[in-house]
Amino acid sequence: MSSAQQICPEWGQDFRAKEDFRGVWVFVECFEGSVSEASLQLITPAKKIAEKLNTSITAVMLGHGIERMLREPVYYGADSVIYVDDESLATYYPNVYGDVLVNLVKRHRPELLLIAGTLRGREMAPYVANCLRTGITADCTDFDVDEAARDVLQIRPPFGATLLAYIRTPRNRPQIATVRPNVFNLPNRDASREPSSIIREHVEIPRPNIRLLSSEKLQKEAAIIEKAEVIVSGGKGLGSPEGFKLLEELARELGGVVAGSRKAVDAGWIPHERQVGQTGKSVKASLYIAVGISGAAQHLFGIREVKTVVAINTDPEAPIFDNADYGIVGDYRQVVPAIVEEIKRRRRG
Amino acid sequence: MPLDMVVCVKWVPNTQVVNIDPRTGTLIREGVPSIINPHDLNAVELGLRLKDSYGGRLTAIAMSPPSAKAGLEFLIGMGVDRAILITDRAFAGADTLATSYVLAKAIERLMPVDIAIFGQETIDSSTAHICAQTASWLKLPYIYYVVDAKLGDGKKSIVVRRVLEREVETFELPLPCLISVAMKSNVPRPVTLSNKIRAKTEGLIEVWSNDVLKLDVNCIGLKGSPTVVSKSVPTPVVPRKKLKFEGTDPAEAARWLLDRLEEEGVKVV
Ligand SMILES: Cc1cc2nc3c(=O)[nH]c(=O)nc-3n(C[C@H](O)[C@H](O)[C@H](O)COP(=O)(O)OP(=O)(O)OC[C@H]3O[C@@H](n4cnc5c(N)ncnc54)[C@H](O)[C@@H]3O)c2cc1C
Ligand SMILES: Nc1ncnc2c1ncn2[C@@H]1O[C@H](COP(=O)(O)O)[C@@H](O)[C@H]1O
Repeated sequence: MSSAQQICPEWGQDFRAKEDFRGVWVFVECFEGSVSEASLQLITPAKKIAEKLNTSITAVMLGHGIERMLREPVYYGADSVIYVDDESLATYYPNVYGDVLVNLVKRHRPELLLIAGTLRGREMAPYVANCLRTGITADCTDFDVDEAARDVLQIRPPFGATLLAYIRTPRNRPQIATVRPNVFNLPNRDASREPSSIIREHVEIPRPNIRLLSSEKLQKEAAIIEKAEVIVSGGKGLGSPEGFKLLEELARELGGVVAGSRKAVDAGWIPHERQVGQTGKSVKASLYIAVGISGAAQHLFGIREVKTVVAINTDPEAPIFDNADYGIVGDYRQVVPAIVEEIKRRRRG
Repeated sequence: MPLDMVVCVKWVPNTQVVNIDPRTGTLIREGVPSIINPHDLNAVELGLRLKDSYGGRLTAIAMSPPSAKAGLEFLIGMGVDRAILITDRAFAGADTLATSYVLAKAIERLMPVDIAIFGQETIDSSTAHICAQTASWLKLPYIYYVVDAKLGDGKKSIVVRRVLEREVETFELPLPCLISVAMKSNVPRPVTLSNKIRAKTEGLIEVWSNDVLKLDVNCIGLKGSPTVVSKSVPTPVVPRKKLKFEGTDPAEAARWLLDRLEEEGVKVV
């Protein structure tokens, strides 16, 4: 490629060489008066990347009344903090938060910006990327680094989880990625860590052109399946919504929760927020019992971090058996009650 | 006040078996049947509901290969008024930034537009980038995960409700603006016979190549894309023990399983 390579004029006059950008940034959400776990999970890949690039990690925080939360990302491994605390950031608007973040990036020029793939994160991140005229990769599940080029390889599963694409942003900076919640563990918390700096920035905050009229908390527990230690998951093989009653009974005995495959969700047997897989959630349970689930690549994608996988399926050839630790070939209508019975029997001693 | 609305839709391969060009890492579309991205039908439905309430016009825009014409006819069958197929080899290989650039320029060309509507995400790339990126190019307000919308007092704004992980929020956005519609909300209406006949009318689907849009070649397609797919590899499988219970008695199977779990240190009793 010739050195006199043309770039899109819309990318701007201050299109800078990538050498002008240094450092890894993680955007730490604190919309709800506490630091979001999904954003702290970002520090796990950030550490690996920063080490390979021989640079440091900065947590960026925006909001109002957030001062008491500033050290939290440091305890998890961030080296420094940059924050803006302002009344006009009390309400989150994607373009206002986005503009402030854009402003900070232009000032400090990090080479990488990681944003948690929460619903708000996924709403704001592409706006930020576009304002900066740079690339963005959605819902990454892993990262690697090409040290020579200082390019971060942003790894994600496109087209149905059978392939992983390695995406890079060779010319533009910063590199921006959203990261799928729950594919990285939280780093260890160490409350004795000291930040190298905590900098309060003052930036002009644009007046919001949209208005939040009302916000109502949903009466539901957050992240039920993401946090569960034991998950009993049902698929199309349950045959009917009643099948889930049996699974709930088993889940209750095990102190766990129920989840499902996409086909179970599409059949309306279980809500989408309990779907496991590429287009559902990634879970980190220590025990995952897949009942009447065939084991499609997109489903398996969501249980990569599960410690022990159990499969119950009538079809001995079902791919789930090659992706499980313990398999039982049989009809769940007999097998599941038998397990419940056996647990009760052992408990009676 | 009648509303002038556009809805952006993508023509996507409808299969789990997709082929990747090993050289460029991009999707090979030949031989794979395509459909309108299912989540975009919810966006179309929301647009049609607004049209039912306030009158006006809904224009579908797709940046896609020429075969997308069939999908656009389907949308006209649902009640969309007209469609624009943006198609040109020069747009091929675009990442989301370069795609949103073309869509933004197309929307600009159609201005005045009151509302540009998007699906939550596509099933082939599921990035959910395009709406926010297009909003940035157009310097217009936007909001995601909308489940319903109505005009505000004075008809110069829309009031939308959206659902997040733990709350339901209501926002008011001034017109013009962009909204992205929550998947599974706004169940799409069926195609009607009279609309289906109408879909065959000459001139309802305009085709725009880059001769029409006249965009700088450095801003579109592969050249206008900051990201590149450097390689694709099969997803590594997670190693598992793959032990199977040999037998048919459920009670015995249950004992076997609980013994194995106990050995693993999983406390179940
Ligand atoms: C882009 C994309 C994203 C996707 N995302 C997801 C996702 O996030 N999550 C997801 O789960 N899927 C996802 N899918 C769908 C996925 O490909 C499969 O279609 C789906 O996982 C299959 O669900 P299932 O295993 O419940 O049903 P099936 O594949 O129909 O399997 C049912 C199983 O039940 C067994 N069975 C039948 N009767 C009994 C019985 N009485 N007792 C025990 N077993 C019985 C059968 O032997 C069979 O193996 C996605 C697909 C695509 C293309
Ligand atoms: N090529 C395209 N042409 C028209 N609209 C598109 C195109 N790609 C994406 N969109 C719109 O942007 C939304 C989000 O797409 P994505 O960012 O690819 O997940 C889709 O649901 C469509 O409404």
